[in-house]
Amino acid sequence: MSTIIVLLWLANIVLDTFGQLSFKAAAVAPDLGEGLARWRAMARRPWIWLGAGAYIGEFVVWLAFLSLVPLSQGVLLGSINIVAVMVAGRMLFAEKFSPLRTLGILLVACGVAVVGIGG
Amino acid sequence: MRRFYLIGFLVLVCFDTLAQVCFKLTANHAMPPEANLAWLLRVMSSPWVYCAIACYIGAFVTWMTLLEHAPIGPAFAASHLEVVSVLALSVVVFGEHVGAPQLIGSVLIIAGIVCLAISETEGESAPAAH
Repeated sequence: MSTIIVLLWLANIVLDTFGQLSFKAAAVAPDLGEGLARWRAMARRPWIWLGAGAYIGEFVVWLAFLSLVPLSQGVLLGSINIVAVMVAGRMLFAEKFSPLRTLGILLVACGVAVVGIGG
Repeated sequence: MRRFYLIGFLVLVCFDTLAQVCFKLTANHAMPPEANLAWLLRVMSSPWVYCAIACYIGAFVTWMTLLEHAPIGPAFAASHLEVVSVLALSVVVFGEHVGAPQLIGSVLIIAGIVCLAISETEGESAPAAH
């Protein structure tokens, strides 16, 4: 793997994890209301914009990445992101993890890694 | 809640899958890959990049609706059903080769999502668990 591919990969992990946690923070803020009012309330808070900013960065990084590697190999990225988001969700949102739920998440992460390595 | 998750994740995976296919079509259209304005202009001149953006918006609305209830860790993992559907379409649309590792990986992903689905059903039957 060339340096530029590694840098794009690392940038994707950081942007993806930060973005997902920002979106979760935006979606569970207190007193959001329902329907359109919910979206207006989310727009008044910073979290959805921080998440959207991270997503725009990720969009550019992903396009550049796909120009350098085949689509099937690009999914190798996802395996690390899944574990990063799981750990962050547990630390920041006190999400509970039954053994079955943890097993499910790790199976998905392993599956994504196997798909990527095989690509 | 089970119905909410089922429909939500199905819609999400459809949007996500279409978006990735559109990204690949955009990248093909913008060949050769270069870090310059000409490449960016080739990207912007592809109709596929706008299809990808539309799919992203659809996925975003679906995702923010799901996250109101769904915990981020398992939900983010479950959204990777996209990988299996993108692999299937990469064979059909782009004629890419899918070998044994991709098939094994796909089976692992589906097995993981089945575990997550079962764990959510169990959580529902116990009122105290959230």
